[in-house]
Amino acid sequence: MEIEFGARTDTGRVRENNEDSFRAAPELNLFVLSDGMGGQASGEVASRLAAETIVAHSRDAETNPSLPLTGESIEGASDAANRLASAIRLANRAVHRAALKNASQLGMGATVVAVQFADDRMIVAHVGDSRAYRLRNGELEQLTQDHSFIAEQVRLGMMTPEEGSQSKLQNVLLRALGTDPQVDVDVNEELLIEGDTLLLCSDGLTHEVAGAQIAAVLCDADDAQEAADDLVRLANQAGGGDNITVIVLRHAPKLVGAMAKIGRWFKSS
Amino acid sequence: MSKLVLKFENSVLTEVPMGAKEVSIGRSPDNGLVIDNPAVSHYHARVFNEDGRLMLEDFGSMNGTFVNGQRVKMISLKPGDSVVIGKHSILIADSREIPNAFPVNGGAKAAPKINETVMLDTKERREFLQKVSAVGESAQVAPARVKVATLVVRKGRTDQREYILSNKLTVIGKSAMATVKLKGWFAPKAAAQITRRDDNSYHISGAGNVPTVNGQPVIHTAQLSPGDVIAVAGIELEFICRE
Repeated sequence: MEIEFGARTDTGRVRENNEDSFRAAPELNLFVLSDGMGGQASGEVASRLAAETIVAHSRDAETNPSLPLTGESIEGASDAANRLASAIRLANRAVHRAALKNASQLGMGATVVAVQFADDRMIVAHVGDSRAYRLRNGELEQLTQDHSFIAEQVRLGMMTPEEGSQSKLQNVLLRALGTDPQVDVDVNEELLIEGDTLLLCSDGLTHEVAGAQIAAVLCDADDAQEAADDLVRLANQAGGGDNITVIVLRHAPKLVGAMAKIGRWFKSS
Repeated sequence: MSKLVLKFENSVLTEVPMGAKEVSIGRSPDNGLVIDNPAVSHYHARVFNEDGRLMLEDFGSMNGTFVNGQRVKMISLKPGDSVVIGKHSILIADSREIPNAFPVNGGAKAAPKINETVMLDTKERREFLQKVSAVGESAQVAPARVKVATLVVRKGRTDQREYILSNKLTVIGKSAMATVKLKGWFAPKAAAQITRRDDNSYHISGAGNVPTVNGQPVIHTAQLSPGDVIAVAGIELEFICRE
Protein backbone atom coordinates (compact mmCIF):
# COMPACT_ATOMS: atom_id res chain seq x y z
CA MET A 1 0.00 0.00 0.00
CA GLU A 2 1.48 3.32 -1.07
CA ILE A 3 0.68 6.20 1.23
CA GLU A 4 2.14 9.58 0.41
CA PHE A 5 1.95 12.01 3.28
CA GLY A 6 2.61 15.63 4.22
CA ALA A 7 2.20 17.39 7.55
CA ARG A 8 2.41 20.89 8.95
CA THR A 9 1.72 22.58 12.24
CA ASP A 10 1.68 26.29 13.06
CA THR A 11 1.02 28.38 16.15
CA GLY A 12 -1.33 30.60 14.15
CA ARG A 13 -1.50 34.37 14.56
CA VAL A 14 -3.21 34.81 17.90
CA ARG A 15 -2.09 32.15 20.38
CA GLU A 16 1.10 32.47 22.42
CA ASN A 17 2.28 28.92 21.82
CA ASN A 18 1.45 25.77 19.89
CA GLU A 19 -0.38 23.14 21.89
CA ASP A 20 -1.03 20.88 18.90
CA SER A 21 1.22 17.87 18.29
CA PHE A 22 1.43 15.36 15.51
CA ARG A 23 3.43 12.27 14.75
CA ALA A 24 3.79 10.59 11.35
CA ALA A 25 5.11 7.04 11.62
CA PRO A 26 5.04 5.78 8.02
CA GLU A 27 6.98 2.62 8.90
CA LEU A 28 3.98 1.68 11.05
CA ASN A 29 1.41 3.11 8.59
CA LEU A 30 0.22 5.22 11.51
CA PHE A 31 -0.51 8.96 11.63
CA VAL A 32 -1.57 10.78 14.78
CA LEU A 33 -2.69 14.33 15.55
CA SER A 34 -3.53 15.80 18.96
CA ASP A 35 -4.80 19.19 20.17
CA GLY A 36 -3.95 19.92 23.80
CA MET A 37 -5.75 22.04 26.38
CA GLY A 38 -4.95 23.28 29.87
CA GLY A 39 -3.44 26.27 31.58
CA GLN A 40 0.21 27.32 31.61
CA ALA A 41 1.11 25.60 28.35
CA SER A 42 0.24 22.19 29.81
CA GLY A 43 -1.77 21.59 26.64
CA GLU A 44 1.55 21.17 24.85
CA VAL A 45 2.58 18.49 27.35
CA ALA A 46 -0.75 16.68 27.02
CA SER A 47 -0.82 16.55 23.22
CA ARG A 48 2.81 15.49 22.88
CA LEU A 49 2.41 12.79 25.53
CA ALA A 50 -0.73 11.53 23.79
CA ALA A 51 0.88 11.35 20.33
CA GLU A 52 4.09 9.72 21.56
CA THR A 53 2.29 7.15 23.71
CA ILE A 54 0.10 6.05 20.81
CA VAL A 55 3.06 5.63 18.48
CA ALA A 56 5.19 3.88 21.12
CA HIS A 57 2.46 1.35 21.92
CA SER A 58 1.87 0.65 18.24
CA ARG A 59 5.59 0.15 17.75
CA ASP A 60 5.71 -2.29 20.70
CA ALA A 61 2.71 -4.20 19.34
CA GLU A 62 4.35 -4.47 15.93
CA THR A 63 7.34 -6.34 17.38
CA ASN A 64 5.17 -8.17 19.90
CA PRO A 65 1.71 -8.89 18.46
CA SER A 66 0.58 -10.79 21.56
CA LEU A 67 0.96 -7.65 23.68
CA PRO A 68 -2.21 -7.48 25.79
CA LEU A 69 -4.83 -4.91 24.85
CA THR A 70 -5.76 -2.08 27.17
CA GLY A 71 -9.49 -2.11 27.79
CA GLU A 72 -12.29 -4.16 26.27
CA SER A 73 -11.92 -5.70 22.84
CA ILE A 74 -14.42 -4.22 20.36
CA GLU A 75 -16.70 -6.86 18.89
CA GLY A 76 -16.50 -7.28 15.15
CA ALA A 77 -13.49 -5.00 14.89
CA SER A 78 -10.27 -6.04 13.18
CA ASP A 79 -7.05 -6.58 15.14
CA ALA A 80 -5.67 -3.32 13.82
CA ALA A 81 -8.74 -1.44 15.07
CA ASN A 82 -8.53 -2.99 18.51
CA ARG A 83 -4.82 -2.25 18.65
CA LEU A 84 -5.32 1.42 17.82
CA ALA A 85 -8.13 1.77 20.35
CA SER A 86 -5.84 0.17 22.93
CA ALA A 87 -3.05 2.63 22.14
CA ILE A 88 -5.40 5.57 22.56
CA ARG A 89 -6.73 4.26 25.90
CA LEU A 90 -3.12 3.94 27.06
CA ALA A 91 -2.49 7.52 25.98
CA ASN A 92 -5.52 8.58 28.00
CA ARG A 93 -4.09 6.92 31.10
CA ALA A 94 -0.69 8.50 30.54
CA VAL A 95 -2.10 12.01 30.23
CA HIS A 96 -4.45 11.47 33.16
CA ARG A 97 -1.62 10.27 35.41
CA ALA A 98 0.67 13.09 34.36
CA ALA A 99 -2.10 15.61 35.04
CA LEU A 100 -2.43 14.37 38.61
CA LYS A 101 1.30 14.40 39.29
CA ASN A 102 1.96 18.03 38.52
CA ALA A 103 0.05 20.96 39.99
CA SER A 104 0.58 23.06 36.88
CA GLN A 105 -0.80 20.25 34.72
CA LEU A 106 -3.99 19.61 36.66
CA GLY A 107 -6.97 19.37 34.33
CA MET A 108 -4.87 19.16 31.18
CA GLY A 109 -6.27 17.15 28.32
CA ALA A 110 -6.04 16.56 24.62
CA THR A 111 -8.05 15.50 21.62
CA VAL A 112 -6.73 12.88 19.26
CA VAL A 113 -7.45 11.73 15.72
CA ALA A 114 -5.43 8.87 14.27
CA VAL A 115 -5.37 6.84 11.08
CA GLN A 116 -3.87 3.36 10.83
CA PHE A 117 -3.57 1.67 7.44
CA ALA A 118 -3.80 -2.12 7.35
CA ASP A 119 -4.23 -4.44 4.35
CA ASP A 120 -6.93 -2.86 2.19
CA ARG A 121 -8.62 -0.89 4.91
CA MET A 122 -7.97 2.01 7.18
CA ILE A 123 -8.84 2.49 10.81
CA VAL A 124 -9.92 5.96 11.90
CA ALA A 125 -10.06 6.59 15.63
CA HIS A 126 -10.71 9.79 17.54
CA VAL A 127 -11.60 11.39 20.83
CA GLY A 128 -12.66 15.03 20.84
CA ASP A 129 -13.15 17.51 18.02
CA SER A 130 -10.07 17.06 15.87
CA ARG A 131 -11.28 15.60 12.59
CA ALA A 132 -10.64 13.18 9.76
CA TYR A 133 -11.93 13.94 6.27
CA ARG A 134 -11.89 11.90 3.09
CA LEU A 135 -11.69 13.34 -0.42
CA ARG A 136 -13.04 10.87 -2.96
CA ASN A 137 -13.91 11.73 -6.56
CA GLY A 138 -13.40 15.39 -5.77
CA GLU A 139 -15.90 15.36 -2.89
CA LEU A 140 -14.94 16.05 0.73
CA GLU A 141 -16.64 14.05 3.49
CA GLN A 142 -16.16 14.37 7.26
CA LEU A 143 -15.48 10.87 8.59
CA THR A 144 -15.57 11.63 12.31
CA GLN A 145 -18.38 13.03 14.49
CA ASP A 146 -17.10 15.70 16.89
CA HIS A 147 -17.36 14.84 20.57
CA SER A 148 -18.43 18.37 21.32
CA PHE A 149 -21.50 19.76 23.04
CA ILE A 150 -22.56 21.60 19.88
CA ALA A 151 -22.21 18.55 17.65
CA GLU A 152 -24.26 16.48 20.04
CA GLN A 153 -26.99 19.14 20.18
CA VAL A 154 -27.13 19.22 16.38
CA ARG A 155 -27.16 15.42 16.18
CA LEU A 156 -30.04 15.24 18.63
CA GLY A 157 -31.94 17.83 16.61
CA MET A 158 -31.89 20.39 19.44
CA MET A 159 -30.01 22.87 17.25
CA THR A 160 -29.56 23.42 13.52
CA PRO A 161 -26.01 23.31 12.09
CA GLU A 162 -26.25 27.08 11.46
CA GLU A 163 -27.20 27.77 15.08
CA GLY A 164 -24.35 25.48 16.07
CA SER A 165 -21.75 27.44 14.15
CA GLN A 166 -22.98 30.67 15.73
CA SER A 167 -22.98 29.34 19.27
CA LYS A 168 -20.53 30.67 21.85
CA LEU A 169 -20.05 27.14 23.13
CA GLN A 170 -17.94 26.05 20.16
CA ASN A 171 -15.11 24.58 22.16
CA VAL A 172 -16.97 22.67 24.84
CA LEU A 173 -15.92 19.05 24.58
CA LEU A 174 -17.75 16.03 25.90
CA ARG A 175 -14.81 13.67 25.51
CA ALA A 176 -11.07 14.22 25.76
CA LEU A 177 -7.92 12.34 26.71
CA GLY A 178 -6.66 12.83 30.23
CA THR A 179 -9.70 14.12 32.05
CA ASP A 180 -11.04 10.72 33.17
CA PRO A 181 -9.17 7.51 33.94
CA GLN A 182 -11.27 5.72 31.27
CA VAL A 183 -12.23 7.00 27.85
CA ASP A 184 -14.53 5.82 25.09
CA VAL A 185 -12.56 5.75 21.86
CA ASP A 186 -14.59 6.20 18.68
CA VAL A 187 -13.18 3.71 16.16
CA ASN A 188 -14.32 3.10 12.60
CA GLU A 189 -13.06 1.02 9.73
CA GLU A 190 -13.19 2.24 6.17
CA LEU A 191 -12.31 0.83 2.79
CA LEU A 192 -9.47 2.57 1.07
CA ILE A 193 -9.58 2.87 -2.70
CA GLU A 194 -6.97 4.21 -5.08
CA GLY A 195 -7.04 7.96 -5.36
CA ASP A 196 -8.49 8.53 -1.88
CA THR A 197 -7.02 11.47 -0.01
CA LEU A 198 -7.34 11.72 3.77
CA LEU A 199 -6.98 14.80 5.91
CA LEU A 200 -6.44 14.88 9.67
CA CYS A 201 -6.77 18.33 11.20
CA SER A 202 -7.20 20.27 14.41
CA ASP A 203 -10.09 22.74 14.70
CA GLY A 204 -7.71 25.61 14.02
CA LEU A 205 -8.09 24.72 10.33
CA THR A 206 -11.83 24.15 10.15
CA HIS A 207 -12.71 27.25 12.19
CA GLU A 208 -11.01 29.39 9.54
CA VAL A 209 -11.31 27.55 6.23
CA ALA A 210 -14.52 26.24 4.65
CA GLY A 211 -14.92 22.71 3.34
CA ALA A 212 -15.10 23.82 -0.28
CA GLN A 213 -11.73 25.57 0.00
CA ILE A 214 -10.17 22.58 1.73
CA ALA A 215 -11.42 20.32 -1.07
CA ALA A 216 -10.01 22.69 -3.70
CA VAL A 217 -6.56 22.70 -2.08
CA LEU A 218 -6.51 18.91 -1.79
CA CYS A 219 -7.52 18.54 -5.44
CA ASP A 220 -5.08 21.10 -6.83
CA ALA A 221 -1.89 20.49 -4.87
CA ASP A 222 0.96 18.64 -6.58
CA ASP A 223 1.76 16.55 -3.54
CA ALA A 224 0.68 15.96 0.01
CA GLN A 225 3.27 18.23 1.62
CA GLU A 226 2.29 21.11 -0.66
CA ALA A 227 -1.37 20.53 0.26
CA ALA A 228 -0.51 20.62 3.97
CA ASP A 229 1.50 23.83 3.59
CA ASP A 230 -1.26 25.47 1.55
CA LEU A 231 -3.94 24.62 4.10
CA VAL A 232 -1.94 26.16 6.94
CA ARG A 233 -1.28 29.26 4.85
CA LEU A 234 -5.01 29.62 4.10
CA ALA A 235 -5.93 29.27 7.74
CA ASN A 236 -3.43 31.95 8.73
CA GLN A 237 -4.63 34.28 5.98
CA ALA A 238 -8.18 33.86 7.24
CA GLY A 239 -7.16 34.89 10.75
CA GLY A 240 -5.14 32.09 12.35
CA GLY A 241 -7.12 32.33 15.57
CA ASP A 242 -5.94 29.00 16.93
CA ASN A 243 -3.08 26.54 16.46
CA ILE A 244 -3.34 24.82 13.07
CA THR A 245 -2.22 21.28 12.35
CA VAL A 246 -2.87 19.16 9.28
CA ILE A 247 -1.76 15.77 8.01
CA VAL A 248 -2.55 14.98 4.37
CA LEU A 249 -2.44 11.37 3.21
CA ARG A 250 -2.80 10.18 -0.37
CA HIS A 251 -3.34 6.61 -1.42
CA ALA A 252 -1.71 6.41 -4.79
CA PRO A 253 1.12 4.38 -6.22
CA LYS A 254 4.33 6.40 -6.29
CA LEU A 255 5.51 7.47 -9.71
CA VAL A 256 9.29 7.34 -9.90
CA GLY A 257 11.67 9.54 -11.91
CA ALA A 258 10.65 10.15 -15.51
CA MET A 259 7.17 8.77 -14.99
CA ALA A 260 6.64 11.32 -12.21
CA LYS A 261 7.59 14.16 -14.52
CA ILE A 262 5.22 12.93 -17.21
CA GLY A 263 2.50 12.52 -14.60
CA ARG A 264 2.91 16.13 -13.48
CA TRP A 265 2.90 17.41 -17.05
CA PHE A 266 -0.43 15.74 -17.73
CA LYS A 267 -1.84 17.18 -14.53
CA SER A 268 -0.91 20.78 -15.25
CA SER A 269 -1.95 20.85 -18.92
CA MET B 1 9.96 30.99 18.99
CA SER B 2 11.86 28.25 17.25
CA LYS B 3 10.86 24.71 16.56
CA LEU B 4 12.67 21.56 15.50
CA VAL B 5 11.13 19.94 12.44
CA LEU B 6 12.00 16.25 12.02
CA LYS B 7 12.03 15.11 8.41
CA PHE B 8 12.70 11.89 6.58
CA GLU B 9 13.39 12.45 2.90
CA ASN B 10 10.85 15.10 1.99
CA SER B 11 8.22 14.32 4.59
CA VAL B 12 7.70 15.94 7.96
CA LEU B 13 7.36 13.33 10.70
CA THR B 14 6.86 15.58 13.70
CA GLU B 15 7.77 18.94 15.19
CA VAL B 16 8.95 19.91 18.65
CA PRO B 17 8.82 23.49 19.93
CA MET B 18 12.06 24.87 21.35
CA GLY B 19 11.12 26.55 24.60
CA ALA B 20 13.41 27.43 27.48
CA LYS B 21 14.14 23.77 28.23
CA GLU B 22 16.60 21.70 26.22
CA VAL B 23 15.39 19.04 23.82
CA SER B 24 17.28 15.75 23.84
CA ILE B 25 17.43 13.76 20.61
CA GLY B 26 17.88 10.03 20.22
CA ARG B 27 16.39 6.60 19.75
CA SER B 28 15.31 6.12 23.35
CA PRO B 29 11.61 6.95 23.88
CA ASP B 30 12.37 9.26 26.79
CA ASN B 31 14.00 11.82 24.53
CA GLY B 32 12.26 15.09 23.67
CA LEU B 33 12.65 14.25 19.98
CA VAL B 34 12.56 10.52 19.29
CA ILE B 35 14.12 9.20 16.09
CA ASP B 36 13.47 5.50 15.79
CA ASN B 37 16.25 4.32 13.51
CA PRO B 38 19.21 1.94 14.06
CA ALA B 39 21.68 4.57 12.84
CA VAL B 40 20.70 6.83 15.72
CA SER B 41 22.21 6.38 19.20
CA HIS B 42 19.91 6.04 22.19
CA TYR B 43 21.02 9.44 23.44
CA HIS B 44 22.45 11.04 20.37
CA ALA B 45 22.49 14.81 20.82
CA ARG B 46 20.68 17.75 22.34
CA VAL B 47 19.54 21.24 21.39
CA PHE B 48 19.53 23.89 24.13
CA ASN B 49 19.49 27.64 24.70
CA GLU B 50 22.61 29.48 25.86
CA ASP B 51 22.82 33.26 26.17
CA GLY B 52 19.96 33.69 23.71
CA ARG B 53 21.50 31.38 21.12
CA LEU B 54 20.33 27.93 20.09
CA MET B 55 23.11 25.36 20.58
CA LEU B 56 23.53 21.80 19.37
CA GLU B 57 25.71 19.26 21.16
CA ASP B 58 26.49 15.74 19.95
CA PHE B 59 26.88 13.24 22.82
CA GLY B 60 29.79 11.43 21.15
CA SER B 61 27.37 9.37 19.07
CA MET B 62 28.53 6.53 16.89
CA ASN B 63 27.40 7.95 13.56
CA GLY B 64 27.74 11.62 14.39
CA THR B 65 25.62 14.71 13.89
CA PHE B 66 26.08 16.91 10.81
CA VAL B 67 25.19 20.60 10.55
CA ASN B 68 25.12 22.03 7.02
CA GLY B 69 27.25 19.07 5.91
CA GLN B 70 29.93 19.25 8.62
CA ARG B 71 30.24 16.75 11.47
CA VAL B 72 30.05 18.69 14.74
CA LYS B 73 30.52 18.26 18.48
CA MET B 74 29.11 21.59 19.70
CA ILE B 75 27.86 24.43 17.53
CA SER B 76 25.37 27.28 17.54
CA LEU B 77 22.34 27.01 15.26
CA LYS B 78 20.32 29.57 13.33
CA PRO B 79 16.99 29.30 11.50
CA GLY B 80 17.47 27.56 8.18
CA ASP B 81 20.37 25.42 9.38
CA SER B 82 20.11 21.78 8.39
CA VAL B 83 20.97 19.16 11.00
CA VAL B 84 21.40 15.58 9.78
CA ILE B 85 21.38 12.50 12.00
CA GLY B 86 21.60 9.25 10.04
CA LYS B 87 18.97 9.45 7.32
CA HIS B 88 16.81 11.97 9.18
CA SER B 89 17.12 15.72 9.04
CA ILE B 90 16.09 18.33 11.57
CA LEU B 91 15.24 21.81 10.38
CA ILE B 92 15.35 24.81 12.67
CA ALA B 93 12.24 26.79 11.85
CA ASP B 94 9.99 29.47 13.22
CA SER B 95 6.92 28.39 15.18
CA ARG B 96 4.85 30.82 13.22
CA GLU B 97 4.49 30.84 9.47
CA ILE B 98 3.93 34.59 9.83
CA PRO B 99 6.62 35.63 12.33
CA ASN B 100 6.24 38.64 14.59
CA ALA B 101 2.52 38.56 13.98
CA PHE B 102 0.35 40.74 16.14
CA PRO B 103 -3.14 39.57 17.02
CA VAL B 104 -5.68 39.98 14.23
CA ASN B 105 -8.08 41.70 16.66
CA GLY B 106 -5.65 44.62 16.90
CA GLY B 107 -4.00 44.42 20.26
CA ALA B 108 -6.05 41.93 22.28
CA LYS B 109 -3.51 40.11 24.40
CA ALA B 110 -4.59 36.50 24.11
CA ALA B 111 -7.66 34.86 22.62
CA PRO B 112 -10.70 35.51 24.82
CA LYS B 113 -11.42 32.86 27.44
CA ILE B 114 -14.57 31.80 25.62
CA ASN B 115 -12.49 30.32 22.81
CA GLU B 116 -10.44 28.13 25.09
CA THR B 117 -11.36 24.49 24.72
CA VAL B 118 -12.94 23.16 27.86
CA MET B 119 -14.10 19.74 28.84
CA LEU B 120 -17.37 18.99 30.56
CA ASP B 121 -16.90 16.27 33.12
CA THR B 122 -19.43 13.46 33.47
CA LYS B 123 -21.48 15.26 36.14
CA GLU B 124 -21.61 18.54 34.19
CA ARG B 125 -22.46 16.67 31.02
CA ARG B 126 -25.36 14.89 32.71
CA GLU B 127 -26.65 18.22 34.05
CA PHE B 128 -26.39 19.84 30.63
CA LEU B 129 -28.20 17.00 28.94
CA GLN B 130 -30.89 16.92 31.60
CA LYS B 131 -31.62 20.61 31.07
CA VAL B 132 -31.79 19.99 27.36
CA SER B 133 -34.03 16.94 27.51
CA ALA B 134 -36.47 18.81 29.73
CA VAL B 135 -37.49 20.67 26.58
CA GLY B 136 -39.28 17.60 25.35
CA GLU B 137 -37.09 15.31 23.23
CA SER B 138 -35.41 12.47 25.04
CA ALA B 139 -31.67 12.75 24.76
CA GLN B 140 -29.89 9.64 23.65
CA VAL B 141 -27.04 9.22 26.07
CA ALA B 142 -26.39 5.50 25.77
CA PRO B 143 -25.90 3.62 22.49
CA ALA B 144 -29.01 1.97 21.06
CA ARG B 145 -29.86 -1.51 22.32
CA VAL B 146 -27.88 -3.99 20.30
CA LYS B 147 -29.90 -5.52 17.48
CA VAL B 148 -28.65 -8.03 14.98
CA ALA B 149 -28.49 -6.29 11.61
CA THR B 150 -28.80 -8.53 8.58
CA LEU B 151 -28.67 -8.12 4.80
CA VAL B 152 -31.09 -10.32 2.89
CA VAL B 153 -30.34 -10.82 -0.81
CA ARG B 154 -33.44 -10.02 -2.88
CA LYS B 155 -31.87 -10.04 -6.35
CA GLY B 156 -28.58 -10.98 -7.94
CA ARG B 157 -25.79 -13.51 -7.55
CA THR B 158 -23.90 -13.68 -4.28
CA ASP B 159 -22.31 -16.46 -2.27
CA GLN B 160 -24.99 -16.47 0.45
CA ARG B 161 -28.70 -15.60 0.78
CA GLU B 162 -28.25 -13.67 4.03
CA TYR B 163 -25.39 -11.90 5.78
CA ILE B 164 -25.27 -10.99 9.44
CA LEU B 165 -23.51 -7.65 9.86
CA SER B 166 -21.36 -8.49 12.86
CA ASN B 167 -18.24 -6.64 11.76
CA LYS B 168 -17.43 -2.96 11.95
CA LEU B 169 -16.65 -3.04 8.25
CA THR B 170 -18.56 -5.10 5.69
CA VAL B 171 -17.43 -4.99 2.08
CA ILE B 172 -19.64 -5.78 -0.91
CA GLY B 173 -17.50 -6.91 -3.83
CA LYS B 174 -15.43 -9.62 -5.40
CA SER B 175 -12.16 -9.23 -3.49
CA ALA B 176 -10.94 -11.60 -0.79
CA MET B 177 -11.86 -9.14 1.93
CA ALA B 178 -15.49 -8.89 0.79
CA THR B 179 -18.15 -10.38 3.06
CA VAL B 180 -20.95 -10.07 0.52
CA LYS B 181 -19.20 -11.80 -2.35
CA LEU B 182 -20.37 -10.81 -5.79
CA LYS B 183 -20.26 -13.37 -8.57
CA GLY B 184 -19.54 -12.71 -12.21
CA TRP B 185 -16.57 -11.75 -14.34
CA PHE B 186 -17.28 -8.06 -14.29
CA ALA B 187 -18.09 -7.73 -10.61
CA PRO B 188 -15.93 -5.00 -9.03
CA LYS B 189 -13.38 -5.85 -6.35
CA ALA B 190 -15.10 -3.44 -3.99
CA ALA B 191 -18.47 -1.94 -4.90
CA ALA B 192 -19.61 -0.57 -1.55
CA GLN B 193 -18.97 -0.73 2.16
CA ILE B 194 -21.26 -0.83 5.20
CA THR B 195 -19.78 0.38 8.47
CA ARG B 196 -21.12 -0.05 11.97
CA ARG B 197 -20.48 2.99 14.14
CA ASP B 198 -19.97 3.41 17.86
CA ASP B 199 -23.68 3.90 18.46
CA ASN B 200 -24.50 0.69 16.52
CA SER B 201 -25.92 2.60 13.57
CA TYR B 202 -25.10 1.33 10.08
CA HIS B 203 -23.93 3.46 7.18
CA ILE B 204 -23.36 2.66 3.53
CA SER B 205 -20.83 4.31 1.18
CA GLY B 206 -19.90 3.61 -2.40
CA ALA B 207 -16.40 2.33 -3.05
CA GLY B 208 -16.21 1.79 -6.78
CA ASN B 209 -19.91 2.13 -7.54
CA VAL B 210 -22.70 4.48 -6.44
CA PRO B 211 -25.22 2.49 -4.42
CA THR B 212 -28.87 3.46 -4.19
CA VAL B 213 -30.98 3.18 -1.07
CA ASN B 214 -34.69 2.93 -1.83
CA GLY B 215 -33.90 4.25 -5.29
CA GLN B 216 -31.96 7.29 -4.05
CA PRO B 217 -28.26 7.46 -4.98
CA VAL B 218 -25.99 7.67 -1.98
CA ILE B 219 -23.93 10.86 -1.83
CA HIS B 220 -20.89 10.03 0.30
CA THR B 221 -22.54 8.05 3.08
CA ALA B 222 -26.11 7.27 4.09
CA GLN B 223 -27.47 5.83 7.31
CA LEU B 224 -29.49 2.63 6.90
CA SER B 225 -32.89 2.10 8.49
CA PRO B 226 -34.65 -1.24 8.86
CA GLY B 227 -36.48 -2.13 5.65
CA ASP B 228 -34.17 -0.09 3.39
CA VAL B 229 -33.44 -1.69 0.02
CA ILE B 230 -29.90 -1.30 -1.25
CA ALA B 231 -29.05 -1.70 -4.92
CA VAL B 232 -25.46 -1.83 -6.12
CA ALA B 233 -23.43 -3.65 -8.79
CA GLY B 234 -26.45 -5.58 -10.04
CA ILE B 235 -27.65 -6.92 -6.69
CA GLU B 236 -30.42 -5.89 -4.31
CA LEU B 237 -30.20 -6.28 -0.56
CA GLU B 238 -32.73 -5.56 2.16
CA PHE B 239 -31.41 -4.20 5.46
CA ILE B 240 -33.20 -5.85 8.39
CA CYS B 241 -32.85 -5.60 12.14
CA ARG B 242 -33.81 -8.60 14.19
CA GLU B 243 -34.07 -8.30 17.98
